Amino acid sequence: MPMLEIKNAELSIDDKKILKGLSLNVNEGETHAIMGPNGSGKSTLSYMLAGRDGYELDNGSITFNNIDLIPLSPDERSNLGLFLAFQYPVELPGVSSTNFLREIFNSRKKYLGEDELTHLDFIKHLRKVAQNLSIKDEMLKRYVNYGFSGGEKKRFEILQMALLNPKISVLDETDSGLDVDALKIVSEGVNNLKDKKNAVIVITHYQRLLDYIKPDIVHIMSDGKIIKSGDADLALYIEKNGYSEILNEQN
Amino acid sequence: MNKTRNDQFFSNLEKFVNKFYPNQPQRQPYLNLKTWPSPRDEAWKFSRLGKLARKNILPLNLENQKDININKLIKDSISLVFVNGKFEKKLSDKLPSEIAIEEVQIEHFKEIINKFDNLFVKSHPTLNSTISCSKKFFKIKFKNDVKFDRPIEIFNLGGTENTSIHPFIFMDLGKNIDVKVFQHYSTYAGLLAPLEIINLSKNSNLEIIKIYDDKKNSYNLSLTLSVIQEEANLRSFALIKGGEFTRSEMHTLLEGENSKADINGIYLSSGNQHHDLTSCVYHNVPNCKSSQIVKGVLGEEATAVFQGKVRVEKLAQKTEAKQMSRTIMLSDKAVSNSKPELEIYADDVICGHGATVGELDEDQIFYLSSRGISKQKAKVILIDAFLNEMISLSISDKFHDIIYNETKTKINNLLANEYE
Repeated sequence: MPMLEIKNAELSIDDKKILKGLSLNVNEGETHAIMGPNGSGKSTLSYMLAGRDGYELDNGSITFNNIDLIPLSPDERSNLGLFLAFQYPVELPGVSSTNFLREIFNSRKKYLGEDELTHLDFIKHLRKVAQNLSIKDEMLKRYVNYGFSGGEKKRFEILQMALLNPKISVLDETDSGLDVDALKIVSEGVNNLKDKKNAVIVITHYQRLLDYIKPDIVHIMSDGKIIKSGDADLALYIEKNGYSEILNEQN
Repeated sequence: MNKTRNDQFFSNLEKFVNKFYPNQPQRQPYLNLKTWPSPRDEAWKFSRLGKLARKNILPLNLENQKDININKLIKDSISLVFVNGKFEKKLSDKLPSEIAIEEVQIEHFKEIINKFDNLFVKSHPTLNSTISCSKKFFKIKFKNDVKFDRPIEIFNLGGTENTSIHPFIFMDLGKNIDVKVFQHYSTYAGLLAPLEIINLSKNSNLEIIKIYDDKKNSYNLSLTLSVIQEEANLRSFALIKGGEFTRSEMHTLLEGENSKADINGIYLSSGNQHHDLTSCVYHNVPNCKSSQIVKGVLGEEATAVFQGKVRVEKLAQKTEAKQMSRTIMLSDKAVSNSKPELEIYADDVICGHGATVGELDEDQIFYLSSRGISKQKAKVILIDAFLNEMISLSISDKFHDIIYNETKTKINNLLANEYE
């Protein structure tokens, strides 16, 4: 039984079909990479999984640990252990980063029936986690993502992932806008969280990120479907030859 | 407005003044019907007074003292309590020797009023009705060169349905004074028409926080006229949340160089409330700064108005004036009117203005929900953030929590009703 099972997902936005029968199975302990050219529907897939309004399926099914995700709201999906690291993290002026992190951390604890941390204990915990991601205290005093650099925003996403300890994480182009140093920090952060019980889906344009986060399975997505799956070598092949050859094979 | 429109309220005032103040001709000029706003008056275009004019509201001359609750926000503040527009010494705290309340005559503040030579002020119903009907005119006198640690809390209480009450306060600040004042408007009146006149002398600082929380069905037409002398600083913040119809109107004259005025506010409007923040800042001399920043949250069928005007005279070079309004609409039946105006006759100035009206940002709500926060809670977080930014910008740090708490119940109600 896969942890996440997407069957024949079809989805349209403004009457335009974006996902055209996408299927994907992800098991505990696996790291999947989804690659594909622009406009293939990768970000749509991530919003669909997170349950964004307007991204409801026309056909098909998604189950997570045997629970039907379709009727669930984004917060309910998050509580079940699904996490989306945004390609473009949203700025929340006026919302302090520390308060926000404490809010999401404690609401997850509450959902899991665990004790919430006191303010002081949370700050200690936060400092430790933040340090591993080279996030300074100063950044946590600012408003959420507000005025953060591209790299800071991505690190802040991984910080949230670390605090929520999700069962499955979808990283939507987490490598975009990162220099090599930041890429290493972010990848290490993700790798440190990886264990046999959870899973990661990395959505990316480039093979570069996959040098740091090693995928078990690589999928090529085009025109709303997964058209080819393989091992890590498939990503290297794309890097060398581009998408066109595989796309032509399909036609 | 003329009498063919059945201006019941005005004729009640006239009778009242003729009966109780027959020997005070100085009140008469303010009873001239021509000096009252007409429906065509630009200043009242978005806040119509027709309904009020036709109401059979009588000025209140009785002393009605039931339901007097004095809820101080600051433990060690000095309270000054006005019931039905009249200063109640017994209900107020004992004044320290540096502060005095004394009765004055119209002549003592007329000169200040006359500095505001425009229709906005001259036709204002509060200016006219309160000078005509107020029993006594009180002046709060502060001793020069004193920094007051204890804030002052002024309470406007009393009233009954279908009556009008007319509190008058003249705050006369001499030189080098530093004081913080809370103004509470919590009446049951048909109409509360508070007239406040502020004179800030050289190098004085006044922070004034107005909390409009009158009971349901009441009208509040608050008018504040301030004159700021050199190097003085007025920091004003209005929180409007109560009443059926509340207009907070402030006219601020920067008369001395290097003076500063911040006239900011928040309105939280629900049901069929009508809230209006109207502010005019007049830069008459060079090197002064002003800001008029207003934020609002509107739900259900509420309507709100922001009218901000900055007038910069030819002489007033190096003026810096900022004006901004932002409104969040929680309901598509609510209406927001924003009218920013810049009237600039000087050439070396920095003036900026902007206005936005919109719903809560869907991207922000989705981002928060994707972290396990319910949609309802996400909205609370975003509105809190929206208001907190404003509160931190506008008032002293030590009052942030107090004012934030004053917004809390209203925000919860606004969001709860949205989900019904």
